[in-house]
Amino acid sequence: MKQLALTAACVAAVLSLSACKIVKTGSTEGSAPAADASGDDARIAALMADTWEPKLIPAITERALTPAALRNAIAGGLDAAGAAHGKPGSGAGAAWNFAVTGEGVVTAANLESRARMLEVDTDADGTADLTLQLGPVVRGSALRDFSPFYDFSGFRDQIEFAKLGRALNDAASARLTVPDGDPTGKTVSFTGVLALKSPTEAWLLTPIAVGVMR
Amino acid sequence: MNLKRRLLVSTVALAFAGALPSFAAAEGTIAIITPSHDNPFFKAEADGAAAKAVELGYEAMILVHDDDANKQSQLFDSAIAAGVKAIILDNAGADASVAAVQKAKDAGIPSFLIDREITSTGVAVSQIVSNNYQGAQLGAEEFVRLMGEGGEYAELLGRESDTNAGIRSQGYHDVIDQYPDLKMVAQQTANWSQTEAYTVMESMLQANPGIKGVISGNDTMAMGAWAALEAAGRTDVIVVGFDGSNDVRDSIQKGGIKATVLQPAYAQAQMAVMQADQFLKTGATGLDEKQLMDCVLITADNAAKLETFALAE
Repeated sequence: MKQLALTAACVAAVLSLSACKIVKTGSTEGSAPAADASGDDARIAALMADTWEPKLIPAITERALTPAALRNAIAGGLDAAGAAHGKPGSGAGAAWNFAVTGEGVVTAANLESRARMLEVDTDADGTADLTLQLGPVVRGSALRDFSPFYDFSGFRDQIEFAKLGRALNDAASARLTVPDGDPTGKTVSFTGVLALKSPTEAWLLTPIAVGVMR
Repeated sequence: MNLKRRLLVSTVALAFAGALPSFAAAEGTIAIITPSHDNPFFKAEADGAAAKAVELGYEAMILVHDDDANKQSQLFDSAIAAGVKAIILDNAGADASVAAVQKAKDAGIPSFLIDREITSTGVAVSQIVSNNYQGAQLGAEEFVRLMGEGGEYAELLGRESDTNAGIRSQGYHDVIDQYPDLKMVAQQTANWSQTEAYTVMESMLQANPGIKGVISGNDTMAMGAWAALEAAGRTDVIVVGFDGSNDVRDSIQKGGIKATVLQPAYAQAQMAVMQADQFLKTGATGLDEKQLMDCVLITADNAAKLETFALAE
């Protein structure tokens, strides 16, 4: 399993222009992280370095739909929308994960919680239809599950797989600048990923970028 | 023990003998081995697997290992000797079970694991487990919300030999430890047991009267803790469990325990039997060995839709 993941990482490294550096760093084979939980942090850090900025952020930006486009797609059935634009998480009953980019008006803000959130109206009907997670505590594993290059079977167990999800969430929330003061009534832009198990589920976005526009 | 096993087997045989007597012989027998049915979760697994096995034309041999790896090994010997076609297993220890599953494989009998993982791959054909980590995060998020992101709390841990005890605890802490105002003042195992949880909760409460919440590794321990809290007149304490049992559902609906996390045990066991059937007929399941199933948060909002470890649409 580990070898598969490593091989995939090597192939990815060889294919990308920054390959030389990565191969060089990885050439210290003797000090490869331990296969058990003690090596998780080192392994996840290496995986993050190979995938987060170089692959995942571009993938989200490229595949992102506007909220209106996603609503339209879902109107034709969640599975059809997912097959066309999303990526399913690992296993039975897992959600479809979609990248979304757009803007909307903040109708409410909770910046006191450790899980800071903005309620956003993206279709100008006066009610919020999207929640932006500003961290530092971020729910779910949408970033991990949206990515086509992380596969559960390549991980030792669900703990290691979960550690990757957490690392991605932490990396995403670290990129965000939280608005000063109460942003209610202001327009914000956002890009991120959300997970849907049903077409009627509330939209909870894990953003990789949020900006207060006006 | 043997007597109990035979009793179970004959009960099942009796239950299904009338249903499909001729087909049962045609496809052979599937052994379904789980921990004790005293915990309704494991009973739901056995019931789900047996119902699907009979539906697909097999006979079901239902056995319980009582979380004893030696007993599990003997049950595997019996199942192999009985010439079963496949084994559905909720195992008695992640390390200790590898040898038993290997023994069946060497005898040409494929095993399909549910609920708990083992530490080796390539021995069982399938390992279908609930995403305990994801489920624990859901439970912890709700717990944090109910606690108002602060206060003293206690944690009840499951049986140490069961990987899920550790996975759930890690999932809980992955979320809760991000809230510096939440302080864990006690953490102790009650071995998945309701009676043990009652005693543990009593002593935790005596030592830490300021406890505002209890997060439990499963529902039976949550029930034990809740009973102790009720007896002590501390129904203000927030309790969150894990499994999605009918007992906890009823407690949630009465305003007792606040939340739990459903593991789709019934559907999971049925999926394992379908994969066994597919494997026996075609030589492959067409799926990865390790498969995750997502858990669902149960609160007062959706508790009414929960029945025997399955959520109505």
